[in-house]
Amino acid sequence: MVKRYKNFKEVGETVVLYPDNYINDIEGEKLEELCTSYLERGFKKVVIDFSETDIINSIGVSVLIGMIEKVRDMNGNILFSGLKQVNYDVFSIVGLTKHIMIYETEEDAIGGNAKASGAVTTA
Amino acid sequence: MKDRMLFPTCPDGEFFGRAREIDYICRRASEKPSPAIFLFGRRWTGKTETLRRVYRELFWNQAKVVPLYYQFKGYGSPEEFSEDYLKEVLKQYLAFRLRDARYVRQEISLDKLDRLLVDNDLYPLADLVAIHREARKASDTTAALRNALSSPAAVSSRSGIPVYLILDDLDKAAGPAGGKDLQLTRELMGSLTLAQTSFVASASVRVPFGGGAFNGSAEAMEMTGLDEELSASMMLDLCRLYHVDAETEILKLAANRLEGNPMYMKSLVWAASKTGQGLTTLKEFADVYTAELFDGNIGLALRSALGLSGINSLRVLHSCSVAQRPISDEELSERFRQGAGELNGIIDGLSRAGLIEVNLGSIKWAGDAAVKDFIYYVYETRVKGRSAEEVRTYLAREVLKEGFNFRSSKISVKLKDEAAEVIKAFNNQKILKILLRNQSFAARFKKGSVKGPGDEGEVHLPQTVGCFDSERLEAGEAGGPILVAHGFQNGRYDSGNEVVWMVSVKDAASPVNTGDVENFLRRSLILKENFRAARLSRWMVGREGFTAEAGKRADTEGVFSSDAVQLRIIRENLEEGSRASRKTPDRIVPVREFEVVLPSASKAELVAARAVEEIGTEMGFDDAAIGQIKAALVEACINAFEHSRLKTAKVFLRFVASADRLTIYVQNGGVDFDSPAEPLSEAPSDGLPRKRGWGFELMKGLMDEVRVERLRGGAKIVLVKYLVEKGDGRNGQEV
Repeated sequence: MVKRYKNFKEVGETVVLYPDNYINDIEGEKLEELCTSYLERGFKKVVIDFSETDIINSIGVSVLIGMIEKVRDMNGNILFSGLKQVNYDVFSIVGLTKHIMIYETEEDAIGGNAKASGAVTTA
Repeated sequence: MKDRMLFPTCPDGEFFGRAREIDYICRRASEKPSPAIFLFGRRWTGKTETLRRVYRELFWNQAKVVPLYYQFKGYGSPEEFSEDYLKEVLKQYLAFRLRDARYVRQEISLDKLDRLLVDNDLYPLADLVAIHREARKASDTTAALRNALSSPAAVSSRSGIPVYLILDDLDKAAGPAGGKDLQLTRELMGSLTLAQTSFVASASVRVPFGGGAFNGSAEAMEMTGLDEELSASMMLDLCRLYHVDAETEILKLAANRLEGNPMYMKSLVWAASKTGQGLTTLKEFADVYTAELFDGNIGLALRSALGLSGINSLRVLHSCSVAQRPISDEELSERFRQGAGELNGIIDGLSRAGLIEVNLGSIKWAGDAAVKDFIYYVYETRVKGRSAEEVRTYLAREVLKEGFNFRSSKISVKLKDEAAEVIKAFNNQKILKILLRNQSFAARFKKGSVKGPGDEGEVHLPQTVGCFDSERLEAGEAGGPILVAHGFQNGRYDSGNEVVWMVSVKDAASPVNTGDVENFLRRSLILKENFRAARLSRWMVGREGFTAEAGKRADTEGVFSSDAVQLRIIRENLEEGSRASRKTPDRIVPVREFEVVLPSASKAELVAARAVEEIGTEMGFDDAAIGQIKAALVEACINAFEHSRLKTAKVFLRFVASADRLTIYVQNGGVDFDSPAEPLSEAPSDGLPRKRGWGFELMKGLMDEVRVERLRGGAKIVLVKYLVEKGDGRNGQEV
């Protein structure tokens, strides 16, 4: 069953989160809260689809690192999809690309296709 | 909403560049023990504004000390001072305790103050009022003075909170005649020393009491004019506010002429606004400045502040202001046929006014350029009898000439940049060897018979892959950095063809001499150790060419040598060759500048991102590069806001779009930006990257060049992205 809302979509045990076009401290914290609430509800897989995200600032990055840590602590799985080139560059500079699966599309991420990490859209 | 205004200050939007000083004094005020601070600075450099803002900050935002602000005004008698000082101390304490700013602003009579103190159960402080009345009644000046000066200590003991005294214009405590109120200054200094009261005191001269000393330990803070960048930003902001058309370069020139003095700069913009003139050309600046100096606010303020009483005083001052070196008092005495008594009186007065510095009989001009211009005007009209219009014409001419030189010097700064541009444009091309041999070039040029490539041949230049300066590699070296360029010869990218070019640029009015050549040879030899695998080519560029010996020495050592003319020809040749090889239409891209001021508001950095998107698109950057520039700029803006000391501080952005690059200057009015050297947060335990401290690394990773320039009153991040023409697949990457 698929439930689609403005900022998230539930697909079975997976939740897809759609952050805003600019991830700063405020947007990052909203995302973190949403993520935490899903983990507490028993969702094990979190996909963050960045298709609509143009800029992620360093504070946004730090919140995302915190989220990854939290998901892992709760034995969940977190995946990224739909990254624009600049956001991939940002994750690459901080070294996140070595720690997380990155998919071209959210469908690939939900389906767990093999094409991951470095497979990015160049918007 | 409660009225929180204390002492009058200028609007926040018109106050610039003193955040660091305010922050420092406030921080030191609440330390135990708090040191005494003497804040020195010329007239109108912003001392009073700074101290009043310190007072406001301490009044509203902390409870560790009771702030008391007092501005010395030059009194008729010590008794009058005693009453005024006592009243200020008591009413400001009441204001602080009752959190009511009205007590600070309002004039309150001694009787009313007495009642207020009693009503608020502050009997020991009310006693001070009674003692004051008794002392005045008995005409006991000493008792009145000591009572008033002890009042801060009494407040401290009553409240249990230490007092922090903010003493403004301390030099005026000596009275208008200087030293006339010796008793006052002696008692004041004694009270500050003995009572161990913490204080900050401002003065226009370094020795406020003509040698009378404060016997405790103290720190000295020098408040100079704002630096050129900050001054230009301030003036640009004011020009926008007052609808005055302005050019950044002219504002920088004005800032330079006015030595970053905030009052002068504000007056200049107001004058331009009032007369409907702009500040877009040198001529406009010269017109506004001279009019303002003679008949405007600046002239008026200087006339009243300098108080040039007699013609002899004017003569002495003029002599000092135009002298190239310090003058002795004997020389002045002889020149003006003045007796020692009269001359000493004049010198004392001018010294107290901060216009000259006297040191063991040697007298040196200590005023600023605007004061010097003003003195010149007054002297020429009053002593020499020239008409105001004649003097104005002469001064305007001088301003124009100085402005022209200033602009030329700005242009000359670009020689190093020009050399770097040339190196980047080598691109496997060939140039005439004579362009790299200054002596041959000069000889042939003089003879007027420049021959073709025949006898000298050509130099095959490498394809360069990057150019940087040697600053990091030889941090301790004196002299300008050497440009280092990596490249490959013959279009082959293998170690055998790897080459390093080291280029020294002498951007001075004198030619390169043998000392310069020897220095370059030594440094390049040491630097070469960093690039052992590569073949080395050395090149010296001197704006004014080479001395004969230096040219010969360079030739002997196989060092290429060029002057500014040769460099320009090389550049033109390379550009031509490059255009021909690309077969792209010629285009001239002028340097364009855009400025954006960001308010302190949520997501203000996105405004900058949108602006740079427009500029970048217009310049021809591709989407990937624009994305990188936007992300880096957002980081720089966040950093700038984070480190602005004032909550309402703005961030100033300047975008310089030139033919091959976009340079962005991000400046705040606060303390330094974060730098990569600062401690970083710890990485999470499971191997994930650390959470914080990525700002600078992101900027560096996304841009081609990132540097931080420390400025007085703040810092500036400079971001550079090189433009590579669309289609060659390198746009936004390192070139």
